[in-house]
Amino acid sequence: MAAYLSMGEAHRRINDYLNRFADSVMSQDVGSLKSLLTLTADSPFLLAVADSISLVQDGNRLIKQSEKYSQLAEILVPLLRAIQCYRVNNLADAYHAFEKAANAFVQEFRNWDSAWALDAIYVVAYEIRVLAERADTKLSSEGKSPEKLKAAGSFLMKVFGVLAGKGPKRVGALYVTCQLFKIYFKLGTVHLCRSVIRSIETARIFDFEEFPNRDKVTYMYYTGRLEVFNENFPAADHKLSYALKHCNLRKEANIRMILKYLIPVKLSLGILPRDWLLEKYNLVEYSKVIQALQRGDLRLLRNALEENEDRFLRSGVYLVLEKLELQVYQRLLKKIYAIQKLKEPGKAHQLKLEVIIKALKWLEIDMDLDEVECIVAILIHRNLVKGYFAHKSKVVVLSKQDPFPKLTGKPMGS
Amino acid sequence: MMNQREKLFPPGTSPLEDRHVLEVRHDQSTSYPYSGTPSEGSSWPNYGVDNSHTQNGYPSNSTYGYEHHVLPSHKDSVNGATEASSLSLGSTSIGQDYNGYMTYQNSTDSSGYGNTGYTGYYSVYQQQPQNSYAQPVASYQSTSAPYHPPASYQNTGSCASSSSYSNTYYNPPIYQSPAGYSSSNYSNQTSQWNGATYSSYTQYPYSNYPPASTSAYSSSNASLSSAQYQPQYNQWAEHYAHAEVSCAPGTEKLSVTASSQVESVNSGITHGTTTTVSSQPTPPIAATWRPDTGSLEVPPPQPSGTVVVGYDAYWKHTASGYHNHHTPSGQSNYLQSSDAKAAYSNYPEEQKSAYNQSNLQYPQVPQSHQMSEQINTSATIQSVSRVQIPTNPRIVSNLALGLTKTEKAAPEAKPAYISVSYPKTNEKTSVGDATNSTLKPGVFPKSLRGYVERALARCKGDAQIAASQAVMKEIITNATTDGTLHTRDWDAEPLFPLPDVNNLSKESQTPTSFLLFKKSPTRRTKSRWEPVAEEKSAGVSTPKNNNAIRYGGWKQVTARDQKALVDSSEEKEDMVQAPSISNVEHKFANIQKRFKKPRLSVNVTATENGDASSDSDKDVNLTAEERKKRESRSKRFGKGRGNHAEKGHVKPKVAGLANLYTRRATAQVLSKPLDDSGSRAVEDIDWDSLTVRGTCQEIEKRYLRLTSAPDPATVRPEEVLEKALLMVQNSQKNYLYKCDQLKSIRQDLTVQRIRNHLTVKVYEIHARLALEVGDLAEYNQCQSQLKTLYTEGIEGCHMEFTAYGLLSVILHSHNVRDLLSLMSRLSSDAKQNAAVRHALAVRRAVTSENYVMFFRLYKTAPNLNSCIMDQYADKMRYRAVTCICKSHRPTVPVSYIAQILGFAHTMAATDENDEKESDGLEECAAWLKAHGACLISDNSGEAQLDSKASATTLYVPEPEDAVAHGDASLAVDDFLTSAPS
Repeated sequence: MAAYLSMGEAHRRINDYLNRFADSVMSQDVGSLKSLLTLTADSPFLLAVADSISLVQDGNRLIKQSEKYSQLAEILVPLLRAIQCYRVNNLADAYHAFEKAANAFVQEFRNWDSAWALDAIYVVAYEIRVLAERADTKLSSEGKSPEKLKAAGSFLMKVFGVLAGKGPKRVGALYVTCQLFKIYFKLGTVHLCRSVIRSIETARIFDFEEFPNRDKVTYMYYTGRLEVFNENFPAADHKLSYALKHCNLRKEANIRMILKYLIPVKLSLGILPRDWLLEKYNLVEYSKVIQALQRGDLRLLRNALEENEDRFLRSGVYLVLEKLELQVYQRLLKKIYAIQKLKEPGKAHQLKLEVIIKALKWLEIDMDLDEVECIVAILIHRNLVKGYFAHKSKVVVLSKQDPFPKLTGKPMGS
Repeated sequence: MMNQREKLFPPGTSPLEDRHVLEVRHDQSTSYPYSGTPSEGSSWPNYGVDNSHTQNGYPSNSTYGYEHHVLPSHKDSVNGATEASSLSLGSTSIGQDYNGYMTYQNSTDSSGYGNTGYTGYYSVYQQQPQNSYAQPVASYQSTSAPYHPPASYQNTGSCASSSSYSNTYYNPPIYQSPAGYSSSNYSNQTSQWNGATYSSYTQYPYSNYPPASTSAYSSSNASLSSAQYQPQYNQWAEHYAHAEVSCAPGTEKLSVTASSQVESVNSGITHGTTTTVSSQPTPPIAATWRPDTGSLEVPPPQPSGTVVVGYDAYWKHTASGYHNHHTPSGQSNYLQSSDAKAAYSNYPEEQKSAYNQSNLQYPQVPQSHQMSEQINTSATIQSVSRVQIPTNPRIVSNLALGLTKTEKAAPEAKPAYISVSYPKTNEKTSVGDATNSTLKPGVFPKSLRGYVERALARCKGDAQIAASQAVMKEIITNATTDGTLHTRDWDAEPLFPLPDVNNLSKESQTPTSFLLFKKSPTRRTKSRWEPVAEEKSAGVSTPKNNNAIRYGGWKQVTARDQKALVDSSEEKEDMVQAPSISNVEHKFANIQKRFKKPRLSVNVTATENGDASSDSDKDVNLTAEERKKRESRSKRFGKGRGNHAEKGHVKPKVAGLANLYTRRATAQVLSKPLDDSGSRAVEDIDWDSLTVRGTCQEIEKRYLRLTSAPDPATVRPEEVLEKALLMVQNSQKNYLYKCDQLKSIRQDLTVQRIRNHLTVKVYEIHARLALEVGDLAEYNQCQSQLKTLYTEGIEGCHMEFTAYGLLSVILHSHNVRDLLSLMSRLSSDAKQNAAVRHALAVRRAVTSENYVMFFRLYKTAPNLNSCIMDQYADKMRYRAVTCICKSHRPTVPVSYIAQILGFAHTMAATDENDEKESDGLEECAAWLKAHGACLISDNSGEAQLDSKASATTLYVPEPEDAVAHGDASLAVDDFLTSAPS
């Protein structure tokens, strides 16, 4: 950017921008239109334009002067303002102006028969979300109430309505849906996802597979996360696995995000990942959990959970991991059973509670009879242990066939 | 009319009206004299009326000026009737007008006119009022056509239609008043229009009018116009004047009075209405008018003197003056006509003749106009009035035909009339007088008039007169409502006892009214009917008239019209007088009207009118000297009034608003600003200024959900609320009582926007109470409030309630996301808190379904954590038993189950352990049985749970205390026992 900008140069730049915009619309050149709409990319061209607008106070007059621009005035006037506001870091106003411009653009788009500008809509949806996020960050840092992201959510719902009908524009619906997911997850209003999901999944006329791969992966990732919240692990496993399978292998960050949820889900289904996976995607926080599961080390599990409590709580897998405790108990009993089998094959299927209590004591976990009895009862109840508990003799009587059934992809029985 | 006035101006606002009026009056006054000169003779009264109307209605001067500005052409036209023709409309219309007139009268009564040019103007107004309006206009034009002045008229008409009308129409406010259509338009225009056209009109009408107008008067156009106008008037007093003016063109033509006076337009309108009512009388009036007009035309310049006389007469006569006017010729005619409908039939003919005459006169009128304009606005006014008069006759004839119809419409219009009078305070007064007079002559039997006169004659002093007038109004109103108005023998009717003067004096306190009163006496001496007494009464009567107007705009209006026609000159005078008084009253009336549309007033006004007519008669008899005197007086008046009017202008609206406000409860603070600005965004409201400061000292207060703004008298201040909280805490009464009290405390806190430690305390106490009895709904309310209060930094038992929050999410909502966010937001300090740790442990127990842990925690719960767990205990027990049944074989002792599932926990505190356990056993056994478990007893006699048998038979029984609405605490019996508190 030039340190000093002459008026003429400023006018020229603004006119250049307007010209490009109008031309790209006329010629349906999405590529160039996209670049003109991408505020947050900080492209040198847009920055220069922003400086020019600041210099030329009557940028709007330039738009109205030419019929070519004035047709798009409803888009361009707020757009220029958004560019300028963004440049001076007035994010709230930038968002406001950009939403106005986006609204006008979406109205135009609605009137176009073809979906040539779909990519531009993507950019608009993305920009509006990112701008809103940044504006909210800034607002809350200034002690004001951040509400732009919420506004962006309702605006994108409108965009979704424009796209979600029949026809070629429907392809774009999933992208907007994903942007909405991002907003809702960020705002913590995931219940709002339901209506969008319903509209995507109940559309018979449109096969899910026809959506762009990128959107499908994102969509499955978010819906999988929703299923984790619902503790519907098989469904979560399905969706997250789909996302993992279709995710671009080079997008390691994305794969990591998927694995972050997929691993706990798989663990709760009794499937343990290999160590290299954790290492490759830097998910070592799970390694202790997995070790605990392998060893039946309750203390290790509890330590691991305690260590990463904040992280697990924020990502929402804490409760999932916590439930692995039962599997750790199962592993522990299995180990005791194996030891007894070595010592006394005849009575191996009879586990005394005292033994279990002793084992737990080694793990520095103090539990009395009643508690352990309760745990055993739950294990039996959940089908993690086959057998019965004799209250009188305080003995767990294991089934002779497969006393510790593996989950192998099935959720714990209830 | 009163109503209208009231609407327009609150009682206090009268000054505003006065101002308007005053201005108008000045003009009028000048014009009056002129008119007076021309009419001098018998015609005078009429002139006077017209003048007075004009004067009253609107300052001819001001209007003139307006006209000039607005409608140069009009002016010209006005000045020169021939020039007026220059106004193409005017000229064309002239020829057409005649035709139109005929058609108008014949076909349209009111609508026909409206159709001609007005329809366009009044798209909205088209309705009856509009029609009538339109008619007036049409008549105007037509009149103009006939007259050379008509040309000017037409101009005016056209102008009105085009420029002036548009203006008026445009004025939204005006529009608001439905009746006001024209008025609104007019009013807008009026300022301009009235000035020019009106003045011209008035002049013309006057001259011409007297002759034709008299006939027209009574009838039709006037009535129509009046009807239409009335609405307008009501709403827009100012507009009215204008409207009247505009109407005047049409109306003026139709109703002499209306047309004659620019201001009088208003009055004229009213007159018109009155005429409609009394359309019959018009013919006679017309006769009288003609002579007047003739004289008027000639004298315009001179008229001022006469006008003045008229003023005086007005003042004096006010009410009585009307009578006088009537008496001369018009009265008799009126009476006759009113009595006999046959008069109607006569009307057309008369009107026609009048038209012809008017036409003839018109040429003259124009001259007079020019003269008058040049000479004096007043003169012009007179000429205008004259011109109008001629038109009126035509209209009148038409009106006469359609009068009946118009009359029908008129009732509605009446209010408008009233308002009309209001707008132009002077006019109003005049109108009021006119209405009184007109109403009386047309509507009321002669005998009633006599009765009224008798009653007034014995009055000493203005106050008494006013009082008696008030009494008579009531009597007449009652009679009207009874239907005995015409059947009663008023001659034999005993006079009512003289009212207390002191009371009356209060009523007539307004300076203007006093002035009026003072002046009125002079005239009265001259009045035939009741020489001295009448004078006094006239002053008083005006107020009454106003009142009457309030009551029944219609009759008054009609009366006015009649009066105007008959007594135009006198009426003018009367009007002048009345205005001041009436203004105040009018204001009141307006206010009242805003709320209620007057219906009964007609009768009252009629009686008053009767008085007025007598006055008018007197006026007729006035000598030239007297007229001069009156002129001078009226001039003085005009000035004085002008001042008043100025004041009035400003005040009325304000006063009106104030009045409205005062009517509302103070509690409706919010609604006020809304009213003021029409619409106001909620965020613009200054809540701080609206926050209630309680004054109630009662410690105990039942909760009642607010349905309106809180009344500070029932809201307790903070100190009292603290006492109330203590009282509740120490109360031995049941939860429902406490809940009720706490809710009222919370309400008072909220209403006063108190958010401090006390607020937190109240919510905490209430939340705990609610938890103890399991009132989750109330608890949740308190909890959510506490959450925001804590985040505001107000100290309280934050941790305790954090634990409650965790527990309720864990145990009741089961929302994983909420739980996660709650947990992730826990500070490390919070995690060290015993209560929070307990809650977290409970969470763990629940998620792992560790029933042993759960019931251990249940027993060791701090604070009220156990209360929340209580609600979950049953569920947990059921799960536990299910689990046990599946996992344990063959049996499980009930004692063990009782122990681990917390059945014995309540017993723990007591000394007798055995009993406790046994109690727990029994309880547990009962619970197990209730849930379908199979219990057996083993060898030792100890109860055992047969797990295998029970595994398939367990179920959750329907809760015994289930209530239809799901909240046992709201059970009816409990509620009833709590109700008395």
